[in-house]
Amino acid sequence: MNFIEVQKVFKFFQQDRVLMPVLKEISFKVHEGEFIALVGPSGCGKSTLLRLLTGLVLPTEGSVLYKGKSLTSVNLDSAMVFQSFALFPWLTVMGNVEVGLEARGLSEEMRHKRAAEFIDKVGLDGFEEAYPRELSGGMKQRVGLARALAVEPKLLCMDEPFSALDPLTSLALREEVLMMWEDHTMAVNTIIMVTHMIEEAVLMADRVLVLSPRPGTFLADIKIDLPRPRDKKDVRVNEISDQIFSLMAR
Amino acid sequence: MAKQFLLRRSVFILAFFILAGLIYALGQDLSFPTDIIHLDTAVSQLPRYAVYSLMRMFLAYLLSFFFSIAYGYIAATSPKAEGPMVAFLDVLQSIPILGFFPVAVIFFVSLFNGSRIGVEVASIFLIFTSMSWNMAFSVYESFKTVPSDLVDAAGALGLSGWHCFSKALFPICIPRLIYSSMISWAGGWYFLIAAEIIAIGPVKHELPGLGSFLIHSTENGQVDRTILALLLLVGMIILFNLFVWQPLGVWSEKFRYEFSVSGPPRHSFSLLWYRKILATTQFRALRKLSFFTLSPLKKTITLFQRFGGKMTIIVIKGMGVLCLVAIFYAVSSHLIVFVEGFSKPFPIEIRNIPIAIGASFLRLVVAYILALSWTLPVAYWVGQSPPALKVVTPIAEIGAAIPAPALFPFIILFGIHVMGGMNAAAILLILTGMQWYLLFNLLGGVQNIPADLKEVARSLGLSRWHAFRRLFLPAVFPALITGSITAWGGGWNALIVSEYLIYRHEIHSVTGIGAMLDQAIYESGDAQMILITLLSMILTITLLNRFFWRKLYVYALGHFKIEY
Ligand SMILES: Nc1ncnc2c1ncn2[C@@H]1O[C@H](COP(=O)(O)OP(=O)(O)O)[C@@H](O)[C@H]1O
Ligand SMILES: [Mg+2]
Repeated sequence: MNFIEVQKVFKFFQQDRVLMPVLKEISFKVHEGEFIALVGPSGCGKSTLLRLLTGLVLPTEGSVLYKGKSLTSVNLDSAMVFQSFALFPWLTVMGNVEVGLEARGLSEEMRHKRAAEFIDKVGLDGFEEAYPRELSGGMKQRVGLARALAVEPKLLCMDEPFSALDPLTSLALREEVLMMWEDHTMAVNTIIMVTHMIEEAVLMADRVLVLSPRPGTFLADIKIDLPRPRDKKDVRVNEISDQIFSLMAR
Repeated sequence: MAKQFLLRRSVFILAFFILAGLIYALGQDLSFPTDIIHLDTAVSQLPRYAVYSLMRMFLAYLLSFFFSIAYGYIAATSPKAEGPMVAFLDVLQSIPILGFFPVAVIFFVSLFNGSRIGVEVASIFLIFTSMSWNMAFSVYESFKTVPSDLVDAAGALGLSGWHCFSKALFPICIPRLIYSSMISWAGGWYFLIAAEIIAIGPVKHELPGLGSFLIHSTENGQVDRTILALLLLVGMIILFNLFVWQPLGVWSEKFRYEFSVSGPPRHSFSLLWYRKILATTQFRALRKLSFFTLSPLKKTITLFQRFGGKMTIIVIKGMGVLCLVAIFYAVSSHLIVFVEGFSKPFPIEIRNIPIAIGASFLRLVVAYILALSWTLPVAYWVGQSPPALKVVTPIAEIGAAIPAPALFPFIILFGIHVMGGMNAAAILLILTGMQWYLLFNLLGGVQNIPADLKEVARSLGLSRWHAFRRLFLPAVFPALITGSITAWGGGWNALIVSEYLIYRHEIHSVTGIGAMLDQAIYESGDAQMILITLLSMILTITLLNRFFWRKLYVYALGHFKIEY
């Protein structure tokens, strides 16, 4: 049984009374423990595909199977990280991380303990009582990460998580995400990340899925068998990046 | 330099004219024209009346439109004028429409020597007072939130004067201006009846219009006529919504300045039509024509911008002169009242004012709780399923626009006969003046909840209750407070049509400040009583605003504002 299986998925959106195709006949499989990057030009439906994988959006045609079962609503084994961080501005760091735990019915004591643990893991120890507006972009995204990880999801979905950050911050955060993914004490072991930066995809992922311009169709599934940590000056990294780039430029 | 001089002179000339008009008006005997306007109540007149009312509404709206942009712009851009102008607007907003009666009657009716035109102008002025304050506030608030990077960008592109205003500044306030226009338009209909019957004491002018027709039919207890007029009104509101507010609303979406909005774009079939019409050649010719009519306006605004600093001073001076004039006018027109009123003993009824205010306040509290208890769930529902907005908005617009007196027959039936008592009826009527403002603001708030926050709530699996408490309530809290302020303002204003009503020639009234004002205006015409009830009402409202709602609003903005 596959961890995730996308079967001939079509997605249409209503726009000005016409149905616009956004995704066309997408099929692929995701195995447990993989790190997958989704790349494609802006507007091709990457975010939509990611939401289909978590059950936030349902396909118009076809189906998305999670552990062999077709998703009909939000998959609570998954968690999302957003480009815009999407933190609740009226809640503290602690409050933001606790929200998901509260929804899962944990006692207040348990919530507190678990939230503190994950805030610590993302390196925000001491900022529990700060409000999002008092944090820098990088710190905000750490809170977003802690909130997603705290519910101990099997699948972590990230929509351009590093796009709103400056290069140095995103470099550091990328390393940390990879470390947490490789850390076997963490529940999460499968990550799907949307990005528009080909290099980021090649540096991080096991597989890069390439989508065509809108309506998004499946262009290629590229395996990256390079050992980690990867170096962006590495010739093979550049070769694969160029290959993906020429695929998309066509 | 010459242009500046011209402007300065024109401000003074304007002030002079107003002053002259005032003196002239005051010099007249404060008497009504001898030929009282009578209303022909034949049903066949109804279409004509509808058109008359619509024209009055339209003229009043036009006035409100230009007033609110000018007032909001000046208040937002000249730091010295800001404080007084906002405070003044606050006070204006708290004056119930009947409070403008003395001005309308004494000034406009006397100015035109009691002719029909004077009564018409007075009526348009009254409608204007029920439309413009809320619009001016939203323009002011929009201009205050113009993103500074946008202004910088406009400056860097070399935009100035009219171009800067029309390309960078004005578009920012379009979405909120249109939204508040829609609410004001409904508010205009709601108070139409109060605005089409111009009266002080026993003398009564009933202008031909839907409002007068409605009040006549309810006073006589002709429910069939009430329903007929109501249907006509609802029909007009629906058409207006389909062909004006909906396309404008959709069109205004593109002026939203936001970081991330996702979700399906709204659409309007009439907007698609208009776009097709706009593309025809005949229309292009028309456009050229309008260019010539618009250019003088553009020039003045360009001028205003160019002399930014100096102009502000002139405007402030002009405003100062106008304020002096207003004070002079207020004092002199009420001089008789003051001299007479404060030298002669106060009428004994004055003792009832505190009790009346207390009773009215309690009614408002009950109505407010009732309004909250249904608008919050509805707004939450719309937030969960945005298509519901298409159903809720038109209903709210119709509901907000139905004048309270048109509901008298039904409310009296229900309130007095079913719920037992005029108090219940009064509360229901107050509700009609409160609930829609709350709903409109909550709907506005719920639409501004960022899509990604809603997605977070879903992806974390928040239950309905948790999503309500952790996301919906905090996210709409600022809108809830703004809505509450407007709703309470609307509620205080609605007192005058809720605590005192005539149905089948029978007066139903309760103890309350609204009823007192009605009695003073429609029954005794006693200037002293009018003034005192009005002042105590304004004082109560302003104090409540200052010391309760404003504080809450500041708190809400500090804690619950969503910013990216
Ligand atoms: N809820 C929606 N309703 C209608 N159209 C949508 C909706 N969500 C996304 N779209 C449209 O689908 C297309 C793909 O969007 P998205 O998945 O966000 O692309 P990407 O993330 O690759 O940039 C865009 O053109 C967008 O306008
Ligand atoms: Mg995207």
